Amino acid sequence: MSGAEQIEIEDRDVSIGTFVEQAEPYYASVFEKVQRGSLPRWHQNIWALIVPWAWAAARGVWLLFWISLAIDVLALVCLMQVIKFSPLLAEAQLDAAANSTLVARYSTWVTNYGWAATILFVAGRLWMGSSANRWYFSQYSRWRIDHAVPSGVNFKRLVVGLVVVAIIAPLTTYRATQLRLDERACFNQMRAGEAVGQLMPAYGAGDVTALLTSMDADILDMQTRFDALDAIEARTDAQNAERSQLRRDVRDLGRERDQVNDFQSITTADRFDCAFIDDFPTLARLDPPADVTYRRVADEEAIAAGEEGATKVIAQVKDPVEGRKVTVFTYSAESIDIGINKLRAQYAGFFDAMTNVLRQSLIRVEVAFMQTPWPVVAFLFLALSWAFAGRGTTVFVGASLGFLALFELWQIAMQTMALVVVSTAVCVFVGLPIGIWMAKNKWFRWITEPILDVMQTIPSLSYLVPAVAFFGISQPPAVLATVIFAMPPMIKLTALGILQVPESTKEAALAFGASERQLLRKVELPMSIPSIMAGLNQTIMLALSMATISAFIGAEGLGAIVTSALGDANAGKGLLAGVAIALVAMMIDRILKGIRNSFSRI
Amino acid sequence: MSVVELENVWKIFGQKSAEAMSAIRKDGIGKAEVLERYGAVVGVKDASFQVEEGEIFCLMGLSGSGKSTLVRHINRLIEPTAGTIRIMGEDIGAMKTEELRATRADKIGMVFQNMALLPHRSVRDNIGFALELRGIDGYTRAQKADAALETVSLHGYGDRLPAELSGGMQQRVGLARALAADPEILLMDEPFSALDPLIRRNLQDEFLGLSQNLKKTTVFITHDLDEAIRMGDRIGIMKDGEIVQIGTAEDIVTAPVDDYVADFVAGISRLKLVSAAKIMTDVDAYTAQSGGIDLSSGCPEAAPEDDLDTLVGLSTGSDKPVLIKADGAVVGIVTKDTLLRGLQGGSEA
Repeated sequence: MSGAEQIEIEDRDVSIGTFVEQAEPYYASVFEKVQRGSLPRWHQNIWALIVPWAWAAARGVWLLFWISLAIDVLALVCLMQVIKFSPLLAEAQLDAAANSTLVARYSTWVTNYGWAATILFVAGRLWMGSSANRWYFSQYSRWRIDHAVPSGVNFKRLVVGLVVVAIIAPLTTYRATQLRLDERACFNQMRAGEAVGQLMPAYGAGDVTALLTSMDADILDMQTRFDALDAIEARTDAQNAERSQLRRDVRDLGRERDQVNDFQSITTADRFDCAFIDDFPTLARLDPPADVTYRRVADEEAIAAGEEGATKVIAQVKDPVEGRKVTVFTYSAESIDIGINKLRAQYAGFFDAMTNVLRQSLIRVEVAFMQTPWPVVAFLFLALSWAFAGRGTTVFVGASLGFLALFELWQIAMQTMALVVVSTAVCVFVGLPIGIWMAKNKWFRWITEPILDVMQTIPSLSYLVPAVAFFGISQPPAVLATVIFAMPPMIKLTALGILQVPESTKEAALAFGASERQLLRKVELPMSIPSIMAGLNQTIMLALSMATISAFIGAEGLGAIVTSALGDANAGKGLLAGVAIALVAMMIDRILKGIRNSFSRI
Repeated sequence: MSVVELENVWKIFGQKSAEAMSAIRKDGIGKAEVLERYGAVVGVKDASFQVEEGEIFCLMGLSGSGKSTLVRHINRLIEPTAGTIRIMGEDIGAMKTEELRATRADKIGMVFQNMALLPHRSVRDNIGFALELRGIDGYTRAQKADAALETVSLHGYGDRLPAELSGGMQQRVGLARALAADPEILLMDEPFSALDPLIRRNLQDEFLGLSQNLKKTTVFITHDLDEAIRMGDRIGIMKDGEIVQIGTAEDIVTAPVDDYVADFVAGISRLKLVSAAKIMTDVDAYTAQSGGIDLSSGCPEAAPEDDLDTLVGLSTGSDKPVLIKADGAVVGIVTKDTLLRGLQGGSEA
């Protein structure tokens, strides 16, 4: 088949000159020495020794750029500590006897930071100067394979590097020279700003000085009137009332004037500090959402019109708190609260029905587990593990059951099992179809994947609260919370299993005349059973691990013991119940694994 | 009526395949331009061929030449961008879903390079798969599957899982699966390419024997010219999505249509391929050249369709040229010179 295949080799210029562009003789000899392994450790690249980050940026050795920048900034920060603490030390030494602790602390800091700065700077530079050539050589090797790797000396890269340095170095250095800001300082600054913003239009003042003058005049005026009233020996009731009103006004206005005073005394440096070197500045302060409570009450009109037990939702609006401003976070949180409240009131029937279905099914399963005589349950467990998982597992299951029985946790463990069984059943019935759909539809997959990630990573405690809001405190919301937490692996592994079926196998089935349904039923689902079973296993384990968390909102079982032990600080009780949960989990896991292995043909 | 008939089939992959197709029709733009203008790849370019009943038609080409794509048009696993495909006279492109499925299940069997057996089903259930999809009952399925197993000499392996079988055996199961529904047409997509040479040869022989008995119309895909020559009644050579030459093995070896095909067949042994008719000198020319020959002096004799191998055998036994006789009359003469030249490749015909 000679000549039938054509091999094209791109002609590549791999010369060092093309790569380095400048200072070729130097780099040619250095690269050769690096290759021979004869480049001495003490050999320094002068530019990399003097301005390592600039050299690295211009040459495009970005990793070295970041490392050198980090080392230099760190050295600088240490140096700034010396500069920051030296005046404090000098001040303390003025009265050394009284400040002996302070003197000792500051002088240790100054010495240590001084040394650290020196060592970081000197050693860092030497290391960079000697490493630069080696790193540059490895970049050259990569560039020979892929010409997209930066090469040559590029002015644009140098500018980018310097901009990065300008963003990072000055602010960090400045921060290192400053003592920690007072926690309230920035908040007070903002409050003062707000007060001035309100007072300015009220007084019609053009600037802060004018505002102060007119406020002072007002205060003086009121004070004079107060003093005049105060001088009267026998005041009438009206005069007394006016006097106390004036006293209050003077006090309030005095406070506001203080705020304006504060505002005037805020320096640009203070503003800068609050905006850039402390916490992220508060961007927006909003009026809070209207405080509405939705309630479902008997609908008198409809009842009068003959509708038995009719209800309607009414909204009760509370008066807003005067002058209350909230951040975006609080605003959103309160809006969500109101939304949940409204949903709950509006669709009470739906939520109650759902709660009821969950409760009824839980009760059925609980009855099945708890009212089946214990020897029967124990026998079934042992028989299952014996039939599918072998002798070792049977011994383990026997021992675990023994533990539960001996510590009188049997019934409680059965409650936990019931919760797990119901949650897992919901997970399978909902998760399996969703998983199949996900595998079949690219768009649906694209939408569902982030939602599943959120379901798995959102802290369970944070959705327990809305679950309680919708379904109240009892078992049903616990099941729902468990389902949310435990369903993602079921969905994901179902989808994964179906997606993993080789294209060629599906093609073969189609070639023999399979319809989409037959393809799913006879090829895709059977071939993804191992993956689906793995998903089921994961789901059960996660459901068990939620047992404790869901006990917070009223789930019964082993988790409740752990939760109450936490409340009473009973370490032993909590540990024993925890071990029991782990044993239940392992029993189910081992038995399921055994069943899976003995049915799996793949 | 041909059993399989392809007429001007085009397949263009990409979002804008329809626009690309009309541009090709109107302006006759080339592959590179199609890729550049429409981001589309020409998979099959204007392919036409017919396969007659009982014939084995080999599609031969390097990987990426579009042969696998082309064969998937025959059972419409891939929809053509343009062109018509007829299966026993019926346009498969016009079939509705149900009809298409019935045709796939009843009339066309397919064998894949990577076997593509279902790992969770026994060999018997794998073979009965097409029947199962048609709703045939379990008993009949088992009967037919066992019969098919017998055909591919895997008697008694019905209850094994595919993973327990060797590669060669798995491919026999693949073949049995294709045969079980007793289809008229077999599509073989590089069935023996993944097997080692010995087993490959074995299976080739067996398949040849089978197809002589069963008389299935077969489209056989391969990238191996030796295999194509062994298996194919006719061979179609594909290059870059285009069928560059169709003919018998002898046609292709003796008269390659272009350098590409010539390059391909350069290394092929002509001993068993080229017939006497292709290299013989006719009697008059021979007489003019070497002053005649005594036809009664015990020259070895052969028929025009005898291959070079036979002629070499005859020729080594005597100093005289070989007489090529058809219907008792001498139609040509092969001397040792012509024979050697014929072996080397210089055609005298």
